[in-house]
This record gives sequence, structure tokens and C-alpha cells, in this order.
Amino acid sequence: MSDHILHAEHVDHAEHDHDDHEHPKESFISKYIFSMDHKMISRQFLITGIIMGTIGMAMSLIFRLQLAFPNMRFSFLEGILGHWAKDGKLDPNFYLALITIHGTIMVFFVLTAGLSGTFSNLLIPLQIGARDMASPFLNMLSYWFFFMSSCVLLFSLFVKDGPASAGWTVYPPLSALPSAIPGSGMGMTLWLVSMILFIGSALLGGINYIATVLNMRTKGMKMTRLPLTIWAFLMTAVLGLLSFPVLLGGSLLLVFDRSFGTSFYLSEIVAEFAGGIERTGGSPILFQHLFWFLGHPEVYIILLPALGITSEVIATNSRKPIFGYRAMIASILAIAILSFIVWGHHMFITGMNPFLGSVFMLGTLIIAVPSAVKTFNYLATMWQGNLKLTPAMMFAIGLVSFFISGGLTGIYLGNAALDINLHDTYFVVAHFHLVMGSAAIFGMMSGIYHWYPKLFGRMMNETAGQIHFWLTFIAAYCVFFPMHFMGLAGVPRRYYANTAYDQFNVFVDMNQFITIAALIGGAAQIIFLVNFFYSMHKGKRSVQNPWKSNTLEWTAPVEHYHGNWLGEIPHVYRWPYDYSKPGAEHDFIPQNIPDEGQTDPMQEPHVAEVERRVKVDPVVA
Amino acid sequence: MKISNTLTKSAFLLVILFSVTLSLVTQTVNAGNKHLKFNYADCPDHKTKLAGLTLNNDKNAAGDRIKNTWIKNFQTIVKNGSNKLKIIDLNKENTSTTFQYLSVVQVKSLKALIKTESENPAFATFIPVIILQKVMSEAEESLGSKINWLLIIVVILLIMVIFLVISILSRISDIQGKPAINWNSLNSKFSLAFILLGMLAVVWEFGAHSKLTVFNEGPASEHGINYDNMFMITLGLTGIVFIITQGLLFWYGYKYKSDGKRKALYYPDNHKVEFWWTIIPAVVLTVLVIKGLLTWTQMTNHSNKEARRIEIFGYQFNWATRYSGADNKLGSHDFRQVGKINNLGIDTNDSKAYDDVIVVNELHLEVNKPVLLAFRAKDVIHSAYMPHFRVQMNVVPGLPTYFSFTPTVTTAQMRTKMDKPNFDYILLCNKICGAAHYNMKMKVVVDTKAEYEKYMSAQTPLVANKVSKPKAVVLK
Ligand code: HEM
Ligand SMILES: [Cu+2]
Ligand SMILES: [Cu+2]
Repeated sequence: MSDHILHAEHVDHAEHDHDDHEHPKESFISKYIFSMDHKMISRQFLITGIIMGTIGMAMSLIFRLQLAFPNMRFSFLEGILGHWAKDGKLDPNFYLALITIHGTIMVFFVLTAGLSGTFSNLLIPLQIGARDMASPFLNMLSYWFFFMSSCVLLFSLFVKDGPASAGWTVYPPLSALPSAIPGSGMGMTLWLVSMILFIGSALLGGINYIATVLNMRTKGMKMTRLPLTIWAFLMTAVLGLLSFPVLLGGSLLLVFDRSFGTSFYLSEIVAEFAGGIERTGGSPILFQHLFWFLGHPEVYIILLPALGITSEVIATNSRKPIFGYRAMIASILAIAILSFIVWGHHMFITGMNPFLGSVFMLGTLIIAVPSAVKTFNYLATMWQGNLKLTPAMMFAIGLVSFFISGGLTGIYLGNAALDINLHDTYFVVAHFHLVMGSAAIFGMMSGIYHWYPKLFGRMMNETAGQIHFWLTFIAAYCVFFPMHFMGLAGVPRRYYANTAYDQFNVFVDMNQFITIAALIGGAAQIIFLVNFFYSMHKGKRSVQNPWKSNTLEWTAPVEHYHGNWLGEIPHVYRWPYDYSKPGAEHDFIPQNIPDEGQTDPMQEPHVAEVERRVKVDPVVA
Repeated sequence: MKISNTLTKSAFLLVILFSVTLSLVTQTVNAGNKHLKFNYADCPDHKTKLAGLTLNNDKNAAGDRIKNTWIKNFQTIVKNGSNKLKIIDLNKENTSTTFQYLSVVQVKSLKALIKTESENPAFATFIPVIILQKVMSEAEESLGSKINWLLIIVVILLIMVIFLVISILSRISDIQGKPAINWNSLNSKFSLAFILLGMLAVVWEFGAHSKLTVFNEGPASEHGINYDNMFMITLGLTGIVFIITQGLLFWYGYKYKSDGKRKALYYPDNHKVEFWWTIIPAVVLTVLVIKGLLTWTQMTNHSNKEARRIEIFGYQFNWATRYSGADNKLGSHDFRQVGKINNLGIDTNDSKAYDDVIVVNELHLEVNKPVLLAFRAKDVIHSAYMPHFRVQMNVVPGLPTYFSFTPTVTTAQMRTKMDKPNFDYILLCNKICGAAHYNMKMKVVVDTKAEYEKYMSAQTPLVANKVSKPKAVVLK
């Protein structure tokens, strides 16, 4: 952002009352490092998230190699991993460490901090019309907690006994007793430290997002005029605020069990195995309750922002209002509330009381209804649209596709009876990678392509973006779809190799196919990385509103100013989805354009037009 | 009465004490043999061979060197009397990594095995093999570093090519003032192609891979029939939704692409449509919920008093089974005794345990006879998963869990049905539990009544072992 070329439009804005937003030249440190500007913090979150994502992906490729070629020696691995891959053979303990850190990185560092952190920070102030977050200082602190947490996690990769290896769900006793697995020594301690810092970051961020959305909306920005992105970020923050403290409590008790000889989660374990102190009286299942009380809302913390982004991108690029705006808000609320009473579906076979299982099953299947409504609304938004198939739009379509595929398998897993044979198999791996992994990553990608001009003032290369999309999309299906069949054959997850099982030998080919697809998908991310970093300085300069979008962020100048708008903050006169409104000159009417009495959509002249077109195209009606 | 009680008790204690000493020689040696075999199961050369065989004659198979190194290292350790950590260090070189993660008990049993085998005159013969193998492994190194370099160069080249393509493309579009490629129309065609080819691929995959799943040969248990029904109903309903929604999504992507002339339809709401597409999924899900609840309630009903009780005991990284014997009652247990005298921590004061039978790493069930499995774990959470029976339950230290079911197809019948003469049912560990989690499995055999009785009579109950013939034990 070295050169400031002012867009003609803003020069005259600048003449308006321009309170305290003229800054003296900032130092490098206060501008790029300890920045309190939400746009810079957003970029910090994004780039840290991308780096973590690259590491997480690289890990998945390494263990995919192991799964596909369990008997082969990859000497180059020894170069990377040292004694963890002696003679090119991955160590089984390190395999478990890799999947654990991969899962942790992807779930928390990429799709919670990287996704929510980036887009909540960027879009909340810009889309509600605020100069910055409620507390820029807490916001900065939130990033630095996240940064420290990332560093601690990465550092744990280098400790002698290896990083945490008990799975990203870190169930005790495995995670509590170093004698059970080497990763539960120092590695697990660092994992917990990292997690506690992370929770700090999530809470600081969350409070800020909520306060900002509730208190700092510009004039005219009623809650029912908020873009769906903001609704999604708001509910995400609420979910985080209510559930992360529970994980914090759970983690602290685990710290006690590990370091101070308590037995919150330990029962009937002899002294010899438990660091010299006999442990009894606790319950390993208690930890699972605490973990999943966060864990399930967590998947919506991941998914809701992605869905919010998709709503915005699909509406803009279909040049149509989002279908069923109020139903969309209602389903976000329903999902958020229900997500607190379904955590037990991760624990159907822990031996819980069958009646309790029934209750959790009921809740889980009910959640499918608002999810279905959201899907149908996306489809209806695209129906009769005027689709601009930009990379952002393609990624949004990809998200909907994954959301359907992964959501439907959720109906199997949410059914306690069916879960008996599916729990912890590759069916689950396939399910959550589609509905949470792929869908949310695609939402994030969609957001990056869509708001890149807002983030960096330049455009990403479109062709590279499209190629990136198709390669990633097809690779993701090739990787995760076949895994369902492995799961249905009973292949368990978190297995270092399946070679000891005659029944699973039939999957050798499939495993190799999956790994090759994963490698291609991984290579496609290089295209993205190059495009991302190249365009930052060399990309085409963006115009102010490149996608002809209605929301407020596009009324702010391309260049970044502390305070966002040079002049007065725009006022809002309408909802954000006035696309292709009959009678309007353009196919979009930004929210800050005064309303000429046309806001009630169903009372308007277009209704006749709707009816006429419905007759012509009866696909849905 | 009292005297006989004390007598049985002291006999029981005697037996256990005796078995402590004995264990080093017989029981433990056998267990050691089993561990060795077990840990080698993933090495194709070792499926059938035991250490003893290796020691006696077979010394040229490639994989044997590992075993030999192991045995040699163990031998050193037995001599020096050092501990588990040392063993791990000594064997760091070895490819057979699973061996590094043995529990204390397993190490003990292996030690015992080595000790007896050391006294075997054939023992001296395999040391040269180790030396030979050392030389072989050095040849592979140089190739490895070459691949390394190749990989780095390929990645760098790839990045450079992408850079180049991107900058050329953006030059072109800059010069022409419009995008180099019309992605809008291309993408709409790709959308159509994707959904058509994708659906074909899905159909193909169902054809090709369904037969690899456990649904192909049908359930081997009574409740499994309901399970499979439930599954198929869900598959049918979700399948329909899958085809319709995915189809529409990409069809719209194809059909409604912008052509520069059309304007989109302003269509923000339609309460009627929204009502129906909320109600219909809700009704469908209600059907699934009701059917699911019925299936679940039936599957989790463990109240059958007739059921034969068997305990499944999980520990890093193996399974043991304990049959409850004639009284169909499992003797109680005390975790403090685990790993000291008896691996399973059977309570020596409980007479119900006397007729219990413990077998490591094999489970026999009788066909059409309800069985109640009681699960117990020693160290961390495991999960007993028997996919062919649609059975799974977590095995949690300190928290007893149960699963009852009725096997309906014998191993022999299943072998004929699948036309696989080597097929065996398995019980897998399905909860991450440590380095050899992936190898923690147990063979499950479903016998006919006659076979089962024969099998059980060949086993020795805990106490009858030394006191009298198994069938003659009189309890109480
Ligand atoms: C680059 C593409 C990816 C590939 C090839 C991949 C592959 C895998 C595989 C093979 C496993 C291990 C399964 C097992 O042995 O249990 C795994 C675990 C996991 N992955 Fe991914 N994954 C990818 C991306 C993601 C993303 C985007 C997420 C984000 C949600 C994610 C989240 C997880 C989680 C939570 C686990 C479970 C870790 C555990 O078992 O503790 N992955 N992944
Ligand atoms: Cu959940
Ligand atoms: Cu296990």
C-alpha cells in the first residue's frame, strides 16, 4: 500500500467533516505489526491462516503417502522429518502426531481463526458502516494471542518425543498419560498451552465482533438490513463466546490430571502406568462431554461464516436478491441454538444411556431442517439468475455442493443406530472433510477471491483462479468421496496402515488413487499461493466496486484509510439485496442509495413479472 | 463349609502363585510368541512363522533380519537385566516399529521367550544374517537423496511455470482490454459436464465399490438385519435428495449463466414454497427419526438374561477374552491387581471367577446364541468394533460397557457365502489408543454349538487348572 492514488470520487468526500482521522505517517511497526486497524489485522489473520493451512495440507500429503504406499520407503521424508522417518519409513507415533496436528491446525487455526478472524475483521466494520472495531486494542490482542498460539503449536513439532498424538480430540487417558504414547509428554503440554492461548484469542475477538455489530451500525442499518455475512459472523461469535470457555475449563482439568496427579478424567488406572500415582474416581467420558460441548458448536463456528460469505457471493453474482432473507436469518439462529444440544452425537457408543442417545439423535436430525432450508434458498437464488461465474462464485457453488454431499451423510451419522457401525470409520472422515473441511475451505476461498480487491486493492488473476477452482473441486471429490466406501467396509480412521487386514487389502488401489488426487489438489494450491502473493503487488488495480455489489464496503475507497471512509460514514436506506430490481436503472442499488418507497418486495410491480416467468420456466415452481 | 471355602481359596492363590513362576516358562513364552506373531502380522513374510521356526531353520527370508536383531537385542537385555527403555533404544534402528511400543507385560513375555530360545542350540546360527542385512540397507541411501533433489527442482520449476503463465495471461488481457478467456461460458459448460460425468462416476463407484463393503454379504447378526434396513432406507432417501439438489445446482450453473442480454428475476421471497420445503424435509426426517429410534432402542437392549456373558478386555495393544464358564457369571475384578499377577486383574476372592476361562487374542461365539459382551480396559480408551456384526462399543478404563447381540452366521457359512476360504471375522480397535492402534485386532470365530462346546472344553478354567479336571469343579 505504498502508493496512494485517490479515486476521483473520494476527493470530494474528503472535504466533508473529517474528524480525527488524519494520521501522521505511521511507523512500520505500528502499521504492519502492532496494528490496531481492523483491515490490517484481517490481513494478518489471513496470511497467518494461509501459512498454517499450507503446513496442515503438507502434513496431510505426507500421511496420505503412508496410507497409499505403506510398504514403500520415501527416503526424501527422512530429509524432512529426520528420525521420525528413519530410512524413509514413517514412524507410527509420528503418523498419529501428524494427523493430530493436521486436524488441530485445520479446525482451529485455519478455519476458525483464519476464516472468522479474517472476514469478521474485514467485513464487520466495513459492512455495518463503522470506522473500526469496538475495541481496536482487544482486536490487536486477539491476533497476537492467535499468533503466539500458532508459534507454540509449531514449536511443539520439534520437541524430542514429538507433538501431541492423541488425535485432535485429545481424549484422556491417552492424552493424559505419557506412558501411553510419547506425544502425551511435552508435546501435549504445548498443545494445551497453545489451545489456551487460542481460546483467549477467540474470546477477545468474539466479544469485539458482538459489541461492534450490536452497537456500531451506521444510521439506517437495522438488524434486518444487515448482510447475511454479518448475521453469520455475529452468531459465530456468540457460539464461540458460549462454548470456548467450556473447552478452556475442560483443558485446565486435563492440565491438572497431567501435571498435578488429579483424577478428573482418570479411573482405575494403576500407579505404574500413571506416573506413580494411582488414579481412580474420575471419568474419561466427562472430558468428551466438555470437549464436544465446544466441539459441535465449533463445526458451526467454522461453517456459518462460510455460509454467510456464500450467501453474499451467490446473491451478488446471480444478480438476484438472496431468496428468503428472513428464512436465512431464522435458519442461522436455529442452527446456532440447536448446535448446543446435539454434542452427544459424537458419543453414541461411549456406553451412554440409550435414552440420552435418543435425545441427541432427535436434536441432530432436527438440525438438518434449517440446513436443508439454506440449501434450497441458495438454489432458489440461482434460479432465473444472471450468473457471473467468477472464481468466487464458483467456489460458492462448490461450497453448496459439498454442503449437500457432506450434510446428507450427516443424516447417517446422526442416527444413533447407524452410527454404531460407522463411528470412527473412514465414513466419518469422508463426512467431515466434505461438510466441514471442503465446504468451509471453499467458503474461505470464495471470500478471498471476492474480497481480495478490498483486502489488497488489486485483483487476483482470474484464469489462475478458475483453474485453481476446478482442480481443487474435482480433487476434493476424488479424495473424499471414495472414502465413504472404505468406511462402509469397516476401515477405521487413525490407522497407520491397513495391511494387517485381509479384508482391507482390496482398498490398496483406492488408497493410491486418493493419494494421487490429494497430490494434484495440493499442487493446485500452489497456483493459488502464487496468484495470491503475486497479485498483492503485481495484480491489476481494482476499481472501487468491481463486482457491482450493494454492500457498504464497496462504498469505501480502494485505498485503506484508518477509519475506512474519508468523509462521513454512508447512511443506509435499504436491505443489501436490491439486485435486478424492476424499474431500476442498474442491476444493483447499493445500500446507501436513498429509497424511493420500493422496499417491500412483494408489493411491487415485479410480482406480475415473476408469475409470467414462473410459467415459462417451471423447473422449481 | 468354611473350611472348603478356605481350601478353594488357598488353592486358587497357590495356582496363581505357581503361575507367576510358571508364566516365565510357559504361559508367558506362549504370549511372547503370540506378540511376536501379532506384531509381525503386517509383514507378509511372517504371517505364519513363529520365532521358534526362525531360530531353527529359516534364516534367509528378508524380513527375518529384523526379528533376529530383535531377538539378539533382547538377549543382551535379558543378560544385563535392563529395562524397557533400553530395548527401545537398542531397536531404534529397526523398521519394525510396532515393536517399540510394547507394554511392560508384553516386554516381559518377550523376554521370557528370548530366554528359552537362547538356550536353544540353533540360536547361534542367525547372527551372520544380521551383518549381511546391514550392508544391504546402505545401498538404498544414495538413491534417496537424488529423489530429494529431483523433487525440489520439480516444485521450483512448477512454481516458475505458473508465475509465467499468470503474468502472460494478465499481459494479454491488459492489452486486449478484456479477459483472455471467457470463463463465464466456459464455466457453464464445465458445470454441465461436471454434473453429468460426476453422476456417472457416482453410479460407477456404487457398482464397483459397494461389493467391497460389509453390506455386500449381509449382516452376521440378528439385529444387523434391522440395521441394514435402516441403512438402506436412509441411503434411498438421501440418494434422491442428493441427485435432485446436486443436479439442480449445476444445471442452474449451466442454464442461468449471464449472457449480457438477460436481466435476473427479482424474486426475494415466496412463503408458500418456503413453507413446503421446510415441512417436507421435516416430515421425511420424522420418519427417519422414528425408525431410527426403534432400531436404536432394540440394538441397545441388553436385558436378555439368557445371554452368555463374555468379557472383552482391551489393553495396549491386544485383546483378551474371558468366558464366564458354567455359572455364566464373570468373577469380579480389581484394577490394582492388573499387570501384577494376572493380566486382567481378576479378583482372587471371588469364587465366581474360578470357572472363568481367559484366552488372549481370540473370541469364540456360538451361532444363534445371544451373547452379552462386557467390556473393560486396562490403560486407555479402546473401542471394540466388529463390522460384520454391526457391533461397536467403546472400551473405557473404569467404566463398564456392554453390548448384546446374537450371531447368526458361522465362520464356515460366511466363508462359503463369500467364497473366501480364509475369511475370518474380526474385532478391531476403533479408538485411537497409541502407536500400534492399527494392529490391535482379534480373530472372532462363530462356531456351531458342537464346535463351541468342543472349543470350550479344551480350555482350562482359572482354578480347575491345577486342582482337577475342568468339568469337575464344583463351586459354592
Ligand atoms: C488437503 C486436503 C486434505 C486431505 C488430503 C486430508 C486428509 C486427511 C486424512 C487422510 C486424515 C486422517 C484420517 C485418519 O487416519 O483418521 C485427516 C484427518 C483430519 N482432517 Fe484432513 N485432509 C485434508 C484437509 C482437511 C481440512 C480442510 C480440514 C478442516 C476441517 C481437515 C480436518 C481434519 C480433521 C479434523 C482430521 C481428524 C484428525 C484426527 O483424527 O484427530 N482436513 N485428513
Ligand atoms: Cu457434532
Ligand atoms: Cu486400542
